[in-house]
Amino acid sequence: MRVLVIEDEPDLQRVVWAALQEEGYAVDAAEDGEAGLYKATAWDYDAIVLDMMLPKLDGFQVLHRLRQSKSTPVLVLTARDAVVDRVRGLDAGADDYLVKPFELSELLARLRALIRRAAGQPRPVIEIGNVRIDTVSRSVTRSGEAVSLTATEYSLVELLILNRGKLVTRAMIYDHLFNEDDDSLSNLVDVHVSRVRKKLGHDFVTTRRGQGYIIHG
Amino acid sequence: MVRSLRWRLQTWHALVLLAVLAIFGVFVYELQWQARLQQSDAELDRTAEVIVSRLQRLFPAATPWPWPFRRNRNTPRSPDNRNATTDGIAEASRQSTKPESATGPVGPHDSSSQPAPRDIASRSNPPAPGLGLPDEFLQLFEGDDESRLYFVVWSRTGETLAQSRYAPEIPFPSLQAAKDGLPQRVARVRDSQREVIHVTSFGNHVLVGRSIRFDIVAQQRAAAWLVLTGLGVLAVGLIGGGWLTGRAIRPISEMSAAAQSISAKTLSSRINVQETDNELGQLAAVLNRTFDRLQAAFEQQSRFTTDASHELRTPLAVILSHTELALSRQRSGEDYREALEACRRASQRMTSLIDSLLLLARFDSHESELQLQPLDLEHVTLDTVDLIRPLAEQRGISIGTSTSPTGVFGDRDRLSQVLTNLLSNAIRYNHEGGSVDVSVGEQNGHGVIRVKDTGIGIAADELPHIFERFYRVDKARSRVDGGCGLGLAICQSIVEAHDGTITATSQPEEGTTIEVHLPRGV
Repeated sequence: MRVLVIEDEPDLQRVVWAALQEEGYAVDAAEDGEAGLYKATAWDYDAIVLDMMLPKLDGFQVLHRLRQSKSTPVLVLTARDAVVDRVRGLDAGADDYLVKPFELSELLARLRALIRRAAGQPRPVIEIGNVRIDTVSRSVTRSGEAVSLTATEYSLVELLILNRGKLVTRAMIYDHLFNEDDDSLSNLVDVHVSRVRKKLGHDFVTTRRGQGYIIHG
Repeated sequence: MVRSLRWRLQTWHALVLLAVLAIFGVFVYELQWQARLQQSDAELDRTAEVIVSRLQRLFPAATPWPWPFRRNRNTPRSPDNRNATTDGIAEASRQSTKPESATGPVGPHDSSSQPAPRDIASRSNPPAPGLGLPDEFLQLFEGDDESRLYFVVWSRTGETLAQSRYAPEIPFPSLQAAKDGLPQRVARVRDSQREVIHVTSFGNHVLVGRSIRFDIVAQQRAAAWLVLTGLGVLAVGLIGGGWLTGRAIRPISEMSAAAQSISAKTLSSRINVQETDNELGQLAAVLNRTFDRLQAAFEQQSRFTTDASHELRTPLAVILSHTELALSRQRSGEDYREALEACRRASQRMTSLIDSLLLLARFDSHESELQLQPLDLEHVTLDTVDLIRPLAEQRGISIGTSTSPTGVFGDRDRLSQVLTNLLSNAIRYNHEGGSVDVSVGEQNGHGVIRVKDTGIGIAADELPHIFERFYRVDKARSRVDGGCGLGLAICQSIVEAHDGTITATSQPEEGTTIEVHLPRGV
């Protein structure tokens, strides 16, 4: 899952970035509205964390322009907790709202919920065959036994499951699993897919040659 | 309610109206009554005058009292005069009247006039009194009409000389004493009878009167009409007055209702001003302007609170999230150090922000005590420039100074703070390799500090706001550089506490000049 953090306070940006990174997200960051809007429209993020008080373009303007082309879920961070501010933010196209100061755990939970809802999977636990994926604890069990996955492997499984029944192209996998700083070697995806197959069974992921991968739910 | 303006107005209106109506009514009543009496008096006077002139013809002025019998014996034919008394008048009148007209009896008081009853008895016709008055004249005193005239003639001593048939008993009105020898006239109302008394120069009293019962009744009726009309006018006046008062009061009530409904939450609503050219419209406009100022103050206050809390929330979020992340699992020493450093930076920012807020609050409540002393602005400026020069050099910005000794009366630390804020702004918003010019001098009896930079400048529409608290021309720069948008507001507070002024001029992309004028003081 790939997330964009638009926050101008360097210390806050770094801690959010680090926390998301540790959660296995691919994280990009921007420190003003202009750069944030550019990245948000250039890539398909699974979610955007957006601060409202931003230089160059403020959060409302970023939201307004972003919504003209993208429906990426946006979690707004703001110091303004007045009802009018919250209403204004939600009406401008935000999907959720978090008032500073916030707990990182709440930020992460809200992001997970946003991503699930956007994928049409409101339930946090998803079962496919004998494989059970808990998106909250980020754990996978196969026939009741815990399976140990790396963060990238888990993200790949989550991406495929959230899009189950739909074709997930290699480009999508690159977009969602790696941030802009990661080397995107094309065979890396195949490496991750084969490891997932090894751990969860070969039939868990179906390959559409030349197109991508699909999980049949 | 009873003490309300409306009730007081109406009560006063009613009282004034009542008083006016009462005075007017009494006046009209009196006027009417006098007119009636005058009308009546005119007739009585005419009648009296006829009798008086008759008397004077009978007894010419030259004749002294008692009148000589001889003179009146010119027409002697007095068969009844067997009982001649000393009362010459009675005699004379009888004698003089008889030949000219139908004679009647003399007054009943005249003991000597024996023939009178006989005359009355002998003629069913009411007898005319003596004095030889014409018949048609005497007709005035006859008839069943209750308002017919009557007369009585007395001698100066009070003896009745003649009287009409229906004359009531009237005591002798002794009047001659007042102005003896001069004719007199007196009018009076006695027992609902109007009487005029003419006193001739000899002291003869001629009284002519009539009953004015009808006049009194008519006058009473008129009075009743007056009262009724007055009540009607009063009622109409009260209703009209009430309506007018209501009309006049209604805008006030509406204004007070509107003003009452304006609370802290609805400060944006205003009193509806319909007529701006009258006093109430002006009052409403004044109130509305007051509400404007109140609303502006409220909004500024609310914005200030929001901004202050916003500025505090961001470093709080940094501390909270950094500690949370650091504590979420075992970390390396480097990670902990980073987290602690971030927390320290955030705490420092909060400390500086809280200091600024407290400073502003103290200036706002006029609690801040300036340590005023005579000082040289040049020294303060050069010291501050020396302190800040490393920061400027770090950014490749040169600071030029042109100063002259300028004595002012001020607080050294606070003025140094102003200079620090102005200089760091001039450096922060400057272009790479730009310059800052600081000059200190004297102008119009003021100490003047001028800080001129070659920076990015401020747009004309932003310029009026730069001294507002938490106002940031570019939010990014100040955040990154650790500013919180209070620097210029603090400068303004300090300068104004010195009774000075601070002004800014700017050209975008050319630079900003800030001028501080401080009074020289003592």
